[in-house]
Amino acid sequence: MRDRLEISMQANHGLFAALVTAGLIFGAVASATGDVFYLRLATEALILGGLALSVDILLGFTGLLSLGQALYFGIGAYVSALVLRAAPDFWLAIGAATGAALVAGIVGGLIANRVRGVYFALITFGMAQIVARVVYNTRELGASDGLIGVPVLEIPLGPVSFSADDPLGFFLLTFVIIGLLYGAVAYLLSTPFGRVIVALKANESRVPYLGYSAWAARMAAYVVAALVAGIAGALYPMLRGFVSPELMFFASSGNALIMVVVGGVGTLVGALYGAVVLTVLKSVIGSLTEHHLIVVGGIFIAAILFMPKGLMGLVRPAMMRWLLARAEARAPRSGAVRRTTQ
Amino acid sequence: MPHVTDYLQFVLAPQMLNGLALGVSVILVALGLTIIFGLLDVINMSHGEYYAIGAFGALALALAGVNYWLLIVLVPVLMVPLGVLVERFLIRRVYHGADRHVSTLLLTFGLALIFEDLLKIIFGPNTHRPENPIRGATEVLGVLIPTYRLFLIAIGAAVIVAVALVVYRTRLGAMVRAAAYDSNMAASLGVRIGWVYSGAFAFGVALAGLAGVLLAPVYSVFPTMGRDFILMAFTVVIVGGMGSIWGVVIAGIALTQVQAIASLIISPVWADPIVFGVMVLVLMFRPQGLFGRLGHA
Repeated sequence: MRDRLEISMQANHGLFAALVTAGLIFGAVASATGDVFYLRLATEALILGGLALSVDILLGFTGLLSLGQALYFGIGAYVSALVLRAAPDFWLAIGAATGAALVAGIVGGLIANRVRGVYFALITFGMAQIVARVVYNTRELGASDGLIGVPVLEIPLGPVSFSADDPLGFFLLTFVIIGLLYGAVAYLLSTPFGRVIVALKANESRVPYLGYSAWAARMAAYVVAALVAGIAGALYPMLRGFVSPELMFFASSGNALIMVVVGGVGTLVGALYGAVVLTVLKSVIGSLTEHHLIVVGGIFIAAILFMPKGLMGLVRPAMMRWLLARAEARAPRSGAVRRTTQ
Repeated sequence: MPHVTDYLQFVLAPQMLNGLALGVSVILVALGLTIIFGLLDVINMSHGEYYAIGAFGALALALAGVNYWLLIVLVPVLMVPLGVLVERFLIRRVYHGADRHVSTLLLTFGLALIFEDLLKIIFGPNTHRPENPIRGATEVLGVLIPTYRLFLIAIGAAVIVAVALVVYRTRLGAMVRAAAYDSNMAASLGVRIGWVYSGAFAFGVALAGLAGVLLAPVYSVFPTMGRDFILMAFTVVIVGGMGSIWGVVIAGIALTQVQAIASLIISPVWADPIVFGVMVLVLMFRPQGLFGRLGHA
């Protein structure tokens, strides 16, 4: 059975494959030329892409606008930094950050999911502000300076082992992890339970009539989004060697939101493209002038006004038409293709 | 017990007066925010930047030789066209879309980034300290309080009363409340909804600008000054009830007093998380806030 969601996901997977191809070519070229700066920049873009992916799970699939998703990114980053400073072990850091994001996501979800709409946006904003201020004021967590001196990590992956200091190795590892997160979320959304999550955006009040709990679906989406943000955050101190309270501030959440809107809301892969485009753009403009916000803000507003489907909207509709036509050509008489509208 | 009265007179009372001066200023910013939400259903993320633009406008005009007392009138008036332009050409474009809460919030967030950077480009990133128009201090209850703060409380209270009178006691206010209650019905009764929306947005922007002028001599003027201030204003609007004018006044005074008194007992850096905690609790248990919306009560 093929329906619009499945076709839409196939288009996303196609675009993700294109991103992987581009990433591999970039990695090969960069390592051949001995580049370090752009490899690390691309790694940072992918890590921030994980945060944007988390925003898109909520905004693009359940219709909930979170203004505080950086909270979970920051929790992942801080827990990872704390673990790495105590015991430099890659899997321990990732595991601890995942656990912390899970707990925080459940607590935050219980609070935030009491309300809907603008109130959800404001409550997520408020929660992130509180935690950010508490971290900012806590000397044990480095206060306003953050935690510095995260040791360079030796990452064992089965038979091979490489250092987080190795730009190409860590870029590829980040790509694999973000790719796994993307795949896991895409898979979850295609399961029957995932469809309930998607149904929330279409019409939340109908969901209970079909026998599903809207609250459970919203809660699940929220916790999954928190996990994605937390795992992405755990990679941050491995790349940069420090964490700071700014990671949790509204600027971080806002940035992720810009990436999602510019890339294309509700496409998952758009969040990653948006992250790459904006990170590169900021770096390029930042080397020319310190006033990059005006350009980013301008692009953001232009995307809202003139390109509501984002960058992905430029290619996805054509891809989806092609995929739909192909699916129909393969099953001409069975009527297996349902042209349901979202 | 002389030390108790001493504490009340020399520690608590001045702190509460300072809190009141801050409260009045927060209310001025929050009033615009709540009117814009109550009427247009728009969460104006760029509201803090209008406050900053007002402060920088006052700074620039003062350097050009304009008298301070004239600025209090001139800056808000100059902010009106900006508000009308933003409402007409940006907010209105996405206003009738499917997800207008999200799209208007994102749009005003983008505007905030642009305004902040524009201020940095025009005025530089440095902090400015405008000259205080009323120097000296006045003795209140045996404690010296800067006269300007007393003036701030007085003029702020006057503006708040004036806004409430306009909204609740004039024909114009009745049109605004009618449009907030049911815009289709108001339109069919001859209210020019488009102008009411533009006017209310511009009015909110002008109030934020006025707060900028009034606060510039007390707090420093810098491009990101809107950021910190707007958080408090948002909290006040949420606790008071989004779209409620009385709610903003009561929550504004109550929360700034909580902040002022809490700063005496615990380190001031913890006052902010407490205030945000109140905001999250209100959102959890009474998301509509303490008072009803504009046009509904």
